[in-house]
Amino acid sequence: MNLRFFPNLLLICFILLATSCSQNPVFKEYQTVFNVGDQQEWAAKDLNDQYWEKRIALVPDGQVFWSRTKIDILKTPESLHPYGLQLHVYGEYEVFWDGILIGKNGNPGQEAILDPEGKMWATFSIPTHLTEAGEHLLALRSSLYYFPDHIGIEELEIAYYDDLLTDRLIESSYMHLFAGAFLIAYFYFLFLFLSDKKEYATLIFSISCLLFFILILAEFVKAYVPIHYSMHVIRLQIIGILMLGISFLIPFYFSMQFPFPKRKLLLTIYAGVLLFFFLSKYVFELTANNMALSMWLFSFGIVVFGVYKKMKGARLVLLTLLLSVLIGFATPFNKSLFAGFSLILLGMFYLLSLRIKEQRLAYENSLVQSTRLRLELLKKNIQPHFLMNTLTSLIDWVEEAPKKGVLFIEALAKEFDLFNQIENQTLIPISQEITLCRTHLEIMEYRKEINYFWEEEGIDPEEKIPPAVFHTLLENGITHSLPLEDNSIKFKLIFESNNDYKCYTFLTFATAIRQEANNKKEGTGLKYIKARLTESYQSKWDFTSESTNQGWKNTIKIYS
Amino acid sequence: MNILIVEDESRIAKRIERMTRDIFGDNLQSLKYINTLHEALRFIENNSLDLVLLDLNLNGDNGFDLLTTAVSKSFHTIVISAYKDQAITAFEYGVLDFVPKPFNRERLEQALHRAIANEKIETNEVKFLAIKKRHRIQLIPIEDVLYIKGAGAYTELFLADGKKELHDKSLEKLEQLLSNTFERIHKSYLVKMSEIKEIIVESGSKYMTELKNGERIPIGRTKYKDIKAKWL
Repeated sequence: MNLRFFPNLLLICFILLATSCSQNPVFKEYQTVFNVGDQQEWAAKDLNDQYWEKRIALVPDGQVFWSRTKIDILKTPESLHPYGLQLHVYGEYEVFWDGILIGKNGNPGQEAILDPEGKMWATFSIPTHLTEAGEHLLALRSSLYYFPDHIGIEELEIAYYDDLLTDRLIESSYMHLFAGAFLIAYFYFLFLFLSDKKEYATLIFSISCLLFFILILAEFVKAYVPIHYSMHVIRLQIIGILMLGISFLIPFYFSMQFPFPKRKLLLTIYAGVLLFFFLSKYVFELTANNMALSMWLFSFGIVVFGVYKKMKGARLVLLTLLLSVLIGFATPFNKSLFAGFSLILLGMFYLLSLRIKEQRLAYENSLVQSTRLRLELLKKNIQPHFLMNTLTSLIDWVEEAPKKGVLFIEALAKEFDLFNQIENQTLIPISQEITLCRTHLEIMEYRKEINYFWEEEGIDPEEKIPPAVFHTLLENGITHSLPLEDNSIKFKLIFESNNDYKCYTFLTFATAIRQEANNKKEGTGLKYIKARLTESYQSKWDFTSESTNQGWKNTIKIYS
Repeated sequence: MNILIVEDESRIAKRIERMTRDIFGDNLQSLKYINTLHEALRFIENNSLDLVLLDLNLNGDNGFDLLTTAVSKSFHTIVISAYKDQAITAFEYGVLDFVPKPFNRERLEQALHRAIANEKIETNEVKFLAIKKRHRIQLIPIEDVLYIKGAGAYTELFLADGKKELHDKSLEKLEQLLSNTFERIHKSYLVKMSEIKEIIVESGSKYMTELKNGERIPIGRTKYKDIKAKWL
């Protein structure tokens, strides 16, 4: 592993350490007991409540009921520094501490008449003279009009009032900073996708970032936006939907980066499993848990497959997945969810950066390749075999038949001129290519003293083709063939097209040279043709080259 | 002179043929022109020749197979090629000359003259001698050859490891190619100068040379002065 990761790893460990050692609690909470009815005396500290219920399933129609919780304060607060009480409770209620009303959250008993009031998470200050070390009593006078079966105190915390208020704000402000990073990532990768609409992995990553951003907001919004308990389920549903989205998108993303067989089928099954979890249970924590677990398992499977196939980046992503499960064991669910998700998103980010690097390299390669092809085209006319043989023949013509020699020079000039025109193009009209071939034949006639014939069939002069492709085939045809008995070689170019492809057939009619079995390696000519076709048509082409009874046959198919 | 031209460019082949006929005049017994590798190999095997003019790139094939076969034969080989960068390799294999294209009459004449006049080529850097084994051509590095003994139309190569190999070229032709490092000390012997340890005068004006490995080889009476001067 690279040493660059080491400081980051230290930081993560430090954060984990810091979150795990919180301060010692200043209170001890005993069993809460319940009683349906409404009597003001029930708030009293020393009431005998031994016949009260430990659990009530349902209090219908917004009836008032009371709950009593015995609390030991372990440490008297510093003077002028009051304790506060933080409650996470369904319902509207009044709070009594040692029989004294210290706070009100909504209008218990009047919910059916009045509008909803109050919030799920409420903090109350407790007068200092009531928080000396020793036994105390918390009594709640509640009603639960909207969720009559959610009776009980979900969470109870006593600490310095100031700390209770600020701690949550600090926590949520950090989480919002964190969320902001994902929002920026969302926009960045969205724009990246919009500029290149083929990169779906970028889009999926950007959507995952957005969903994660909203998930953090939905989770921590409770710190500063008052949510009435009747609305709370909506928040949970939003979180559930976000979890569903993220749990599907992360393995989907991995499946794009590490493709495996039967991908569509497995993904459909996985989506079905997720939906089943999402719809079947309304216990939020469990649903989210199941979805997160199946997301992790499925992703793990994909990444392990990637590692097995030695795909790039798979090992580091596997490490982040394993690390996230470690965090899952070490921290409570709502913390591990965010830590785990963000680790996995980092892994995805790493993969994306790998792919972007690959693309950049491929692009740079293609530039180099294009330059190389251009040079190769230029070289055709100055490579010694062509140039020196041509010049030798030319000297001979000039010495023996000067008038013919002049015609020869003219043909040579024409070919050079044509090469100059096409030198920096990637596609040229087929008519220009044909002119090039005919000129080349003219030159070769002077050199080889063979009668060359050129025929065409079905040529559409507007069609385009990479430069010197047929010229190269023609050169090969000339080099590797002997003339027929009448001292002639004929070349024929046929063009056919339909909706699916365009096809050029290039035929050589000649006597084949007896080849000593050395056809194994591909000549530079054929490599040039293939590289040119790839340059202009990527993989949408076919090239075949084979001998026939009459000579040689090359076909180039370009798919649309 | 029996000459073979191997060239796949018809116009160039005709040019070589015309000039060769001109240069040799009546001394020319036969002149054949072939344009494929395969046919050329067959012709070389079945005919007795004095000189082969060879293009190294025939119909896209590499002509070095043909070259190794040609240099193992009794005749001299002159390469005429467009690829000047092949010249060094060709000389290392033991060709008589390398004529780069495009060439004029003077350059071709100069090359052919070497063949006619048994002219020694001091600049030659022959690295190998190609000998014909049963089914293949073997290249023997020159540094392994100690001396060469004429045996009629053939020659025997005496190697550093004590082995003896037969070569198809005559002693005269090898002398021509190897004049840079070897000296003709006797009408039947060609010896690498760097291998001579001592020159001994025996009774009755018999001159001998002792090689570093202890072998003794006679020095021709007429050659003695010359050899001694060169050796010293």
